[in-house]
Amino acid sequence: MQFSEELVRKITDEVMAQLRAQDLASQSVSPLAGRERVNEKKTDYSGYPRAAKGSDPKEVVIGVGAAFQREIKKTICGISLDDVLANVKAGIEEEGMVSRVVKILDTSDVCFMALEAAKLSGSGIGIGIQSKGTTVIHQKDLYPLSNLELFPQAPLMNLETYRGIGRNAGKYVKGEQVVPIPCTNDPMSRPKYQVKAALMHIAETEQLDPEVGAIEWEG
Amino acid sequence: MKIIAGVDIGNSTTEVCIGSIDYFGELKFLSGASVPTTGTKGTIANIHSIKSALKQALSKAGLEEKDLTLVRLNEAAPVIGDTAMETLTETIITDSSMIGHNPSTPAGAGQAVGRLISMECMKQRETGEHYILTASRSHTYEEIAAAINAAPDGIQGVILQADEAVLVWNRLDHKIPIIDEVAQIEKLPDGELAAIEVALAGQSIRMLSNPYGIATLLKLNADQTRMVTPIAKSLIGKRSAVVIRTPNGNIRENVLPAGEIYLHGEKDTSINLDEGAGKIMAAVCDAGKIRDIRGQADTNVGNMFERIRRSMSELDGQQAEDIHITDILAVDTLAPVKISGALAGETCLEKAVGVAAMVRTQQLPMQKIAQRLHSELGTEVVVAGVEAVMASFGAMTTPGTQLPIAVLDMGGGSTDAAVITESGKVIMTHQAGAGELVSMLIQIELGLEDRHMAEQIKKYPLAKVESLFHMRMEDGRMNFVEESIEPKFYGRVVLLTEKGMVRMEKDIPMEKIVQVRREAKKKVFVTNALRAMKAVAPDHDMKKIANVVLVGGSAEDFEIPEILMEEFAGYRIVCGRGNIRSTEGPRNAVATGLVLSYLGE
Repeated sequence: MQFSEELVRKITDEVMAQLRAQDLASQSVSPLAGRERVNEKKTDYSGYPRAAKGSDPKEVVIGVGAAFQREIKKTICGISLDDVLANVKAGIEEEGMVSRVVKILDTSDVCFMALEAAKLSGSGIGIGIQSKGTTVIHQKDLYPLSNLELFPQAPLMNLETYRGIGRNAGKYVKGEQVVPIPCTNDPMSRPKYQVKAALMHIAETEQLDPEVGAIEWEG
Repeated sequence: MKIIAGVDIGNSTTEVCIGSIDYFGELKFLSGASVPTTGTKGTIANIHSIKSALKQALSKAGLEEKDLTLVRLNEAAPVIGDTAMETLTETIITDSSMIGHNPSTPAGAGQAVGRLISMECMKQRETGEHYILTASRSHTYEEIAAAINAAPDGIQGVILQADEAVLVWNRLDHKIPIIDEVAQIEKLPDGELAAIEVALAGQSIRMLSNPYGIATLLKLNADQTRMVTPIAKSLIGKRSAVVIRTPNGNIRENVLPAGEIYLHGEKDTSINLDEGAGKIMAAVCDAGKIRDIRGQADTNVGNMFERIRRSMSELDGQQAEDIHITDILAVDTLAPVKISGALAGETCLEKAVGVAAMVRTQQLPMQKIAQRLHSELGTEVVVAGVEAVMASFGAMTTPGTQLPIAVLDMGGGSTDAAVITESGKVIMTHQAGAGELVSMLIQIELGLEDRHMAEQIKKYPLAKVESLFHMRMEDGRMNFVEESIEPKFYGRVVLLTEKGMVRMEKDIPMEKIVQVRREAKKKVFVTNALRAMKAVAPDHDMKKIANVVLVGGSAEDFEIPEILMEEFAGYRIVCGRGNIRSTEGPRNAVATGLVLSYLGE
């Protein structure tokens, strides 16, 4: 298939229009053309408390993306990020473990996010969640690109999946046998969501602030 | 100088031993080899494995095929074995009285009694009455907790459909026991009296696993208490449980009409399968030399023997009617079976009997193999010697043995034993039941789907991966590794095979697997070893045997020789894993015996 620049721009504009429709009305996003950023403004996190290393052996740290619950409020398939976080935390709580949420401003790569969360976690188990919904369960001693569990197809995930991710992370802390979380796989989700995923990733990446690093986000 | 090769074709491996005899008649062992058998034992397909084993052994000794003077093949034991299992009991739940339930994360501790009431009917509660709340998946944990906190009077416990017990419990002002993951919650009858119990951490329930406990909680009379005994029994060892008293509800343990086993021997006897393995084996012993064993027609046991006959006739090429079962080994076992009518997919351990049967076949076509091998190699090939005798000769090369020596050959399908007395007399026996029956028992008792996994559990020790850098071995030792363990093994029970780790897919505690594995080996090999030794010992007195040498595939197992050693220690018998020619371990006994026996000819 031949792509003309015009066509790409058209698609991008179309997607942006839809994104805007979903997004808050308060954020008046002008057309992307001629701009270098998705969001004009960069949130300043310098006043927030830095994320500390936990000491509770029951702790699972959830590391969320830089734009999480701020510039981006829904996953790529439209699930509210508040609900996503609530379900992951509920899954951890049901296993009798404790959760803590930090925001990772060093990187927007989900594997590195999860590893950073794991290193901050008292138990050594961490979860990384990108604002578009992609999730990884990580352990502090693993290499960044290896991991305990990866859920790469964010468009196919629902709240049940997120509850299961929390539950499995809790089981990893206890050293119990985890039950694999049933996931659907759709080869079409990649072409279908590629542009949206790229834009959401850019929106997240431009909010990074490595000088601040990781901050306590809530809870 | 003559170069002699002994070849032993076994069910799983083909073994070769090469020896040379110089002009003075002095025998020297040169080398040995072992390769997997190609095709079924005793068929032409074995030629490939024989040739490759010969080649391997000859090249080790720096020789070639043309140097061979004579090849001696074993006369394989004309027995083949098969296994089968039949459950004897069946638990049925009628109406919806739920029993044993073991969710992974219940919450709270203690017991509670009350009438069942659903979230929707919360408002209809009467004051002074005790209730147990049931909530379906459509209510969130926040809703449920808020509803209870708002009007807690009378609610003693909670049953949930979703896996949210801890979540609700953490949000309650007054803590009460909660059970979750009851899939078919809509079947719980509103208004009926129910009791729930959640055990303290690290303990199992006490009240509901005790018939009198259930009677106390649900106010039962003596007759009703007798009826709930199977419920109490099925709840032993559970972390949490629910028992509901329904007017017509009942739980029965049915004894299935298993049928009689007819033994035709020196004395014809019959025994019912229900009597259990101990009685069956006593009857087998009483019957003396057995010609045939049959089961009562149109019963479970009849069908079981029919299945064995059919599969044997396929292997042997004889008519099913001509197949004579000459020995059986019966073993008691427990099989986890899904209870029909249960609300949360509970299983119950049902009594079952596993049986290994042995069938005498026509002579295996060893002569054909010998002819074919002769034409391919151009060397003289003879079929020489009975397997058990050859094995005894081979076993005598183990350092530290003396006559009378007994050999216990534990293979896959049968356990064979032979004794050579000081006068050179050989007595032997073949008995049903060996490695394959052990695999079957492991598979049944652990409820595994495939036999392959059971085979591996039988063969390899276990460990639990506790972190990426250490694991706890089954004997409790910690083992730290240099290279990090792959993440897919994290938190898992694994088998330590020579090709790396194999992960257990089913969530069974390591201790339970170890226990089932050891028990299965004991049930089969100890029973059979004692039976076989009694049969071959001079005057049937085991104390007259000085040495027992264990050979064959199962002698290489990491714990069977130790288990047997403990057992034989009581008879003052020296028992241990053979070490053929001081180098080969328990393997190669028959092949070595074949070379040795040439001297006698």
